[in-house]
Amino acid sequence: MMITLPELKNDFNNVGYICDESTALTVFLSLELQKPLLIEGAPGVGKTEMGKVLADILDTELIRLQCYEGLDETKALYEWNYQRQLLRIQMNRNLEEEQVKEDDLFSGQYLMERPLLKAIQTEERPVLLIDEVDKCDPEFEAFLFEVLSDFQVSIPELGTIKASKIPVVVLTSNNERELSDGLKRRCLYLYLDFPAVENEVQIIKAKVPAAADRLAWETARVVAQLRQHSNIRKKPSIAETLDWARALVSLNRSRLDGKLVSDTLNLVLKTRADQDYFKQEIGPEEIDRILKHGGNGGGLSQCR
Amino acid sequence: MSLKEKLPEGHLEENLITFTNLLREKGLSISTPETIDALQALQKIDLLSRDAFKSALQATLVKSRRDQEFFDRLFDYYFAPPEVQRRGAEKAASHKKQFESKMEQACSEMKFKGEALKLNDEELAQYSSMSQEEQKRLQDFMHKTETGVNVKPRFRPVLESVVKSHLRYCRSKSMYEKQNNTNRKDDQTASGPSAGNGAGSGSADAALGEMDIQAIRTTDLPEAEQLLQRLSRKLAIQILRRQRRGPRSGPLDLRRSLRDNMRYGGNIFSLKHKPKRRSRQQILLLCDVSASMKQYSTFVIHFLHGLREAVRDFSCFSFSDNLENMTPDLKSRAGLQHLLDRVIRRSETWGGGTNLGLSLHELMQKHPDLLNGKTSIIVVSDTKTISIDYAVNELNKLKDRVRRIIWLNPLPKEQWPDYRSVGSVAGLVEMWPCNTIVQLEEVLTGRL
Repeated sequence: MMITLPELKNDFNNVGYICDESTALTVFLSLELQKPLLIEGAPGVGKTEMGKVLADILDTELIRLQCYEGLDETKALYEWNYQRQLLRIQMNRNLEEEQVKEDDLFSGQYLMERPLLKAIQTEERPVLLIDEVDKCDPEFEAFLFEVLSDFQVSIPELGTIKASKIPVVVLTSNNERELSDGLKRRCLYLYLDFPAVENEVQIIKAKVPAAADRLAWETARVVAQLRQHSNIRKKPSIAETLDWARALVSLNRSRLDGKLVSDTLNLVLKTRADQDYFKQEIGPEEIDRILKHGGNGGGLSQCR
Repeated sequence: MSLKEKLPEGHLEENLITFTNLLREKGLSISTPETIDALQALQKIDLLSRDAFKSALQATLVKSRRDQEFFDRLFDYYFAPPEVQRRGAEKAASHKKQFESKMEQACSEMKFKGEALKLNDEELAQYSSMSQEEQKRLQDFMHKTETGVNVKPRFRPVLESVVKSHLRYCRSKSMYEKQNNTNRKDDQTASGPSAGNGAGSGSADAALGEMDIQAIRTTDLPEAEQLLQRLSRKLAIQILRRQRRGPRSGPLDLRRSLRDNMRYGGNIFSLKHKPKRRSRQQILLLCDVSASMKQYSTFVIHFLHGLREAVRDFSCFSFSDNLENMTPDLKSRAGLQHLLDRVIRRSETWGGGTNLGLSLHELMQKHPDLLNGKTSIIVVSDTKTISIDYAVNELNKLKDRVRRIIWLNPLPKEQWPDYRSVGSVAGLVEMWPCNTIVQLEEVLTGRL
């Protein structure tokens, strides 16, 4: 599964994940040093997508652990199939020749493996995506970094299980709470910001090939402009940009203007307050002006 | 020949260790394994590429967005290209020369009756950094003193003391202005065109968040308001998530488990749990609105108002020499400036002395329904009040009727021993120093 940096960059482009040099290098180092990669950033910048894309590039299984408040070892690591064990005892109760031994009940047959154990036991090096790690409890986080440092777990009834192949681990966080130093220390760190206009144009072209160059640029430009407004609470994500571009394509539009932005606003601004803010403070005229003058995003000349 | 081969053995390692030590001095927590990671990362990249070199160190040594700024600055300084280093060294030498000449000049000017004043290097440096106008003003003062009637050489220590005091004042003033200018520069950078995608706003927020609330200017209030909203929302999400029902939320419900498993002959196949108790707490905010406290109080009101969706009940009272219910005023979604204006307007006894005891007494008499075992009281006050003993007595009574009292004191902790009132109150409540937005968030996170 060895991959060189130019190959990785190339693969990112091939699967339509447009990123800068620094991001590619950080991912490459994470693979080379076999260290977990902690990705932080605003919602919708492509953190989770990174895990999926890596599984795609490395042609391996993606194992996903979605974190939430109250997540514990039984949901993340393993759990004994208690009902099945009881059934086995019940079934063998009247059969004297088939006495159930304790070892029979605590065997792999009755072990329900959860994402972490699955990632450790998988033969081929999988991609383990631990999504929204900031949402889990600090206790679980402490448990997690122990697993991530040694890539082994101890099951009292079975002993220690060590990973045959160290999985590619991607952790994502929306930075809703500060993660512990212990976890950070075990990871390489990557902060993903919203892409620059030029990069977002490339993303649109890669994901929505039917979008005209001009439309792709104007869509990216307007979205970047909307993200600049600090009063807009829910900033449009990359996925929303793509949805918007697809919608505009399906409306047979090859250009964007203020009125069209107003009419399709629901696709990019998803809260009432943000939409009201757009109507009161920005408006179609401002969008027309931005699109006409190009603003600071640059790149318009490339599309002409 | 690669760079690694060109460098003497250990050179890269030494540089890296020095660099990590400098980062540690800046407050970054970098462990030895991380330094080893950095070194291993450098072995995997093309060392001749400056960008790759920087990215590799960044990925292994920087673990938060806040640290990024320090890293960038230090990296550019420490790993500067030779010609930049040479220019920097020349500049430093020239600065040093200028500095020495200024110090000599300062020594020659700061004299009393022909004898040099005993000033240390820091004081002389402060004098030489002052504008010509300020220097002239100080010299004029010294000259007038020197040529005054019956002025003897033995007056020198008195003059020295006055001059030293003036220089100290000038130093703290220039430091304050410098800090404010830095903050403003950061703000401008953040609100500039490049800040659009969220980049850069981190440093501006950090600067604003660590500024004394009292020193935040009116022009910065919109940014401060946004920062408060963001932090408040973050805390509200944390509180709400704690209250949300998890998959196995409550304790085991033995009765339901037994009844449910009767069909399996009494074998406990499935466990039943009691629902998690949703106990939303009540928050009662008591704000001192005396002149020195109004801005602190307004910020806390604004921050806690953002938590209203996460708490069952939020009440707000202002006090100076009596108690004023501000809860109805908070129903509208007014901005920070409006809130500040309203705090000033609503305080009918503006300018009167603060009487905490009387206000607490009034609270217990008029609003007993708000005080119960689920109520957390947050007091914003520097404890300066008339009749402190009466206030302590009333506070003692109030303490027994509520869950907890958290006291946010804008006075720096070092100054607490200087005030008897702080000592009297601190023994009864959970008192925390709180004069910045960051401190406000830190104190309230995990305590609500």
